[in-house]
Amino acid sequence: MRDVYIIGTGIHPWMGFSEQVFADFAAVAVEGALKDAAIEWQKIQSIMAGIFIYGGNAGHLSGQYLESIFGETGIPVVNVYNACATGSAAIRMAFNSVVAGETDTALAFGADVSPKGFLTAKSDNAVQDRDVIRWKMGGMPNPIYWALECTKRMAKYDTTEEDLALVKVLMSEYGSKNPEARFKKAYSLEEVLNSVYVCEPLRLFEICPVSTGAAALIMTADEELISKADNPVKINATTMGSAIYGDPTIRISALSCPSVAEAPMLSESYSASRQAYEKSGIGPEDIDVLELPDNSSWHYLVYLETCGFCGEGEADKMLRDGETRIDGRLAVNPSGGFSSHGEALSAQAIWQVIECANQLRGRCGERQVDGAKVAMAQTYGLMGNSGTTILTV
Amino acid sequence: MENMANTVARIPNLVDWSTGEIRLMSAKCNSCGTYFFPREHYQHRPGCSREGVEDVLLPSKGKLASYTIQHYPCPPPFKTEKKITPYGIGLVEFEEEKIQVAGIITDTDLEALELGMEMETTTLAMYSNEEKQQVVTWAFKAAK
Ligand SMILES: [Zn+2]
Repeated sequence: MRDVYIIGTGIHPWMGFSEQVFADFAAVAVEGALKDAAIEWQKIQSIMAGIFIYGGNAGHLSGQYLESIFGETGIPVVNVYNACATGSAAIRMAFNSVVAGETDTALAFGADVSPKGFLTAKSDNAVQDRDVIRWKMGGMPNPIYWALECTKRMAKYDTTEEDLALVKVLMSEYGSKNPEARFKKAYSLEEVLNSVYVCEPLRLFEICPVSTGAAALIMTADEELISKADNPVKINATTMGSAIYGDPTIRISALSCPSVAEAPMLSESYSASRQAYEKSGIGPEDIDVLELPDNSSWHYLVYLETCGFCGEGEADKMLRDGETRIDGRLAVNPSGGFSSHGEALSAQAIWQVIECANQLRGRCGERQVDGAKVAMAQTYGLMGNSGTTILTV
Repeated sequence: MENMANTVARIPNLVDWSTGEIRLMSAKCNSCGTYFFPREHYQHRPGCSREGVEDVLLPSKGKLASYTIQHYPCPPPFKTEKKITPYGIGLVEFEEEKIQVAGIITDTDLEALELGMEMETTTLAMYSNEEKQQVVTWAFKAAK
C-alpha cells in the first residue's frame, strides 16, 4: 500500500439559508483546496463528490456540475450519498482510488445549502420509505430520537442535565475562538440551563441546527506534489461502517428498535472506528485530537464510549475532569463542533477531516492543540452509516 | 374501546382494532425470531433463511422503556386539528417480542411518566378527512 497525503483543503464557511446555488459554494471550497495544495486543476485525476439531495439533477450529479465549472477533463467523477456520512464516503472512495494506484491525485468535496424551513419526508410512499410514517404519524423530528436515547442514558448512568449543558459551554467556548464558526457566542452553564427544552432532557442550545457550507480536500500519492506541499498530512485509514444486527439504538427514521442488545450502541460508528484502528495500527490511546459528531450533547458523551476513548458510562467523568478539553488528554472538537457550526449534510464529514488536518498543520490559532500529531474524525449518518478517518503528521 | 366504526388510520397496516383491542401490526420472522415494526421494516439476523415471515399483532400492553416531552409542534406533513404540544413520545417495550416501538403518548399526565410503567396501545385522533372519517395514528397511554 502506498502512502496517501492530504495536500490541500478548502471550505466555504458555514452559514444559514442562502439563495445562492450549491455549486457556487462548492467552487469556493475547491478553489481554496487547489490554492492550498498549490496545484493546477488539471492535476486532479478523479473527483468523488458528495451529492446535494435537495438540488435535483444538479445536486445528484454534483461532481459533474463542479467539474464543468473548473473545466471538464474526462476524469472519473462519482457521486455518493451516505446521509451525514456522505463526505466520509467521498473521502474513502478518493483514498481507495489513490491507494490502489488507479489515480495519483483525487479530489473529494461536498456542498450543501440548508433548505428553507424544516427537513421532512422526501417521498410519499410509506411502504417503501418508513421516514414517511415517522413524519405523518409518528410526530418525531430528529432530536426526539436523541432525547429517547439520552433519557435511557440518564437512567442507566449518572449523566446529569449539567453534564449536557457543560458540553455546550465547551463547544461554544471553542466556537468563539474559531473565526470560521457560524455561531461564535460563548455561553455560561447557567445560560445553557436556562435555554428552553426542545425535547426533554435536550435543550435548544444542546442540539445543532442545519447549515449551508462546503468543504473540499485534495489527496495524493504523487511524491513531487507531497514534497512541495505545506505540511502534508498522512491519511492512515479512512473507513465506513454500517450497523450490526441487534444494535439497541433507535435510529433516525425508524419506529422500533430491539429491546435486547446483541451489538454495541451506534454500531455503525463502532464498526467504522474499529476498522480504522485495525487498518492504521493506531488506537484511541494514541489520538491527540478528536472531531466527533456532536449533533446533540448526548452524542458528545456517547461517542467517546462508542469509539473506545473510555468505558461505557464513563464519558461524563472524562468531561467533568477536563480530560476532553483542548489542554486535556484528548482534545475533543476544538473546532467548536457541530454545535458551533450546524450540519451541512454532504460537506460536514469533509469539514471534520479538514479541521483535524488544520490541527496537525498547526493552523488553528487560539484553538490550537499543542503538539498535535494524531487526529481522528468520526461521523454519524442516518440509518446506520458512519465513517472514521485517522490522520498523522 | 370507544366506537371506531368511522375511524381510519392515516397510513394503513400499522395499527389494528378489528379484534376489539387496539394493537400494533407487526410481522415475525419464524426463522430468526425477529419482530418487525412496521411490518416491512425487515431486520433479519445475518444468515437467516428469511422463510416464514408472518403478520402478527403485538400485545396491547407493554412497559415504558424511554420517553421525551416534545415542546414544539412537529412540522408538516404531521398534522392534528387540535394543538397537542407539549406532547410525550414513548418507547414502549414488548418484552416477549424483544422489540420497543415509538409512539405519541396521549391521555396521560406527562408529569407522572416513569420508566417501567405499564402502557397500553391506543389511537390519537389527528383530524377528520373529506369523507368525515376520524383520521388517527397509533399512540400509547398509561395502562389502567
Ligand atoms: Zn429472519
